[in-house]
Amino acid sequence: MIKSGSFYFSKSHEWLSKDSNNKYRIGISDFAQSELGDVVYISLPETGKTYKKDAKIGEIESVKSVSEIYAPVDLKILSVNSKLNDTPELINQDPKGAGFIAEAEISNDSDVEGLMDENKYKAFAESSHHE
Amino acid sequence: MNNTEIKKTPLYGEHAKMGAKIVEFAGFYMPLYYKSIIEEHLNVRKNSGIFDISHMGEITIKGKDASSFVDYVFTADVSKIGRGEIVYSLSLNEKGGIIDDVTVFKFSDEEYMAVVNAANTQKDFAWIHHVQNDFQKKGKDVAAQNISDETGLLSVQGPKSRDLIYSLISDAVKTGKCGLFDFKFQPKNIKDLKHFEFGCAMFKDINVEAMISRSGYTGEFGFEIFVPADKTIVLWNYLLQNSNLSNLQPIGLGARDTLRFEAALPLYGHELDETINPYDAGLEKYLSQTKDFIGKDALKNIKNKEKRLIFFKLSGKQIPRHSQRILDENLKPIGCIASGTYSPSNKFPIGSAYISDAGVNLSYLKNFFIDIRGNFEKAEVVSPPFHKNLKTGSN
Repeated sequence: MIKSGSFYFSKSHEWLSKDSNNKYRIGISDFAQSELGDVVYISLPETGKTYKKDAKIGEIESVKSVSEIYAPVDLKILSVNSKLNDTPELINQDPKGAGFIAEAEISNDSDVEGLMDENKYKAFAESSHHE
Repeated sequence: MNNTEIKKTPLYGEHAKMGAKIVEFAGFYMPLYYKSIIEEHLNVRKNSGIFDISHMGEITIKGKDASSFVDYVFTADVSKIGRGEIVYSLSLNEKGGIIDDVTVFKFSDEEYMAVVNAANTQKDFAWIHHVQNDFQKKGKDVAAQNISDETGLLSVQGPKSRDLIYSLISDAVKTGKCGLFDFKFQPKNIKDLKHFEFGCAMFKDINVEAMISRSGYTGEFGFEIFVPADKTIVLWNYLLQNSNLSNLQPIGLGARDTLRFEAALPLYGHELDETINPYDAGLEKYLSQTKDFIGKDALKNIKNKEKRLIFFKLSGKQIPRHSQRILDENLKPIGCIASGTYSPSNKFPIGSAYISDAGVNLSYLKNFFIDIRGNFEKAEVVSPPFHKNLKTGSN
């Protein structure tokens, strides 16, 4: 069962959180932002566009590196967090809140059930820290 | 690298304890940042910062013929500087390509020390050793020694760094033995040192002797502090315990790079390598006109500059990265990025690039682009340094 307000994580460090019905927010994890360091630029996904699971939906650039953002499941972008254009540092400051990336429509909740919950993701992130 | 094992500086444990993000750089595990590259950068520009740069290499050159040796291996007029002075120089291969850029410290006509890039320490020492053997075969008295592993090196940089260092050193001028070094001359008091001079001091409370130079890699007033490797931790912690004297923060290699780049200081592997000669890099002022040095003959045959180093800023937000292409207004490739980064002082992306066709009129480069992963981002030529009154156009 997918619970509203809970966070579900992909192996590529994005999160999804259900707002209502089929509407979800998407962002990157606290672990991902701390690995990236100071975010200075984000290329946001396209509003209205449908992305397949694992498709690239955007790019996050920090002072030292650039990394791609992937769709954790099949989804359609409803709107993007355009505040990130001028204040990309919101991703560092509040990755699961004001630093969310977009709102998306996901038709099958069951797709999200295949992702990791907070506890599983925490263990996953800690293990990937030592790679 | 011959040795594939990644090394640690004496401060590795301290960095880890502070929660630094650790990365491999030049064969060492080094702190990239403690909390934020941007915050660390700005604190060095405004207050002060302390860097662990113990990964850098130190090579001593001693003997009756040390002066003629350093003058032959390095491009600048090294032996002409005074005792207690430092000179920036290059070492070139026989083709005139840049083996490394170094600072050379003079203790006497018979004793020098070169501080070299960490990534090049083994290569430089092998090269210096090779030239030393040639000298010795000719009956000359010179011996080079790699003392990098025994040497801890801290850098304290920023406009307030003097408030920290001046308060923590004893007033007496040290002569004679100074940690790893032996001063056979009377050095200046640390407080009287000018840029590129060095002396010796005792840090109060901890009784650690250190060689201190007025030098750095940030474009700010600052010091570099050489201590025996086993004293590095105690000195690092002592300086940080007194951080209130200068709002001192530990600074990682991320901000070291953004700081040096804003000051337009070259980085080996980016602006410099063995395919680049001193003319390409705009470093001809470090070539002596009056003496012979390795690579000088080859440079005589270089009639035209093959490449030119330019600096630029971007109007967009994407950051240019090393080796991305430069395109002219017709989208024809004309060169590659040497360094690219975000400028914390200006809050926009900046970079340097080598462009071919040396005769190119830079005004012709009014419109040019960086190919950032398929996006053609508009760039503009500027005259560095980037951190003070940046002017557009080329000088």
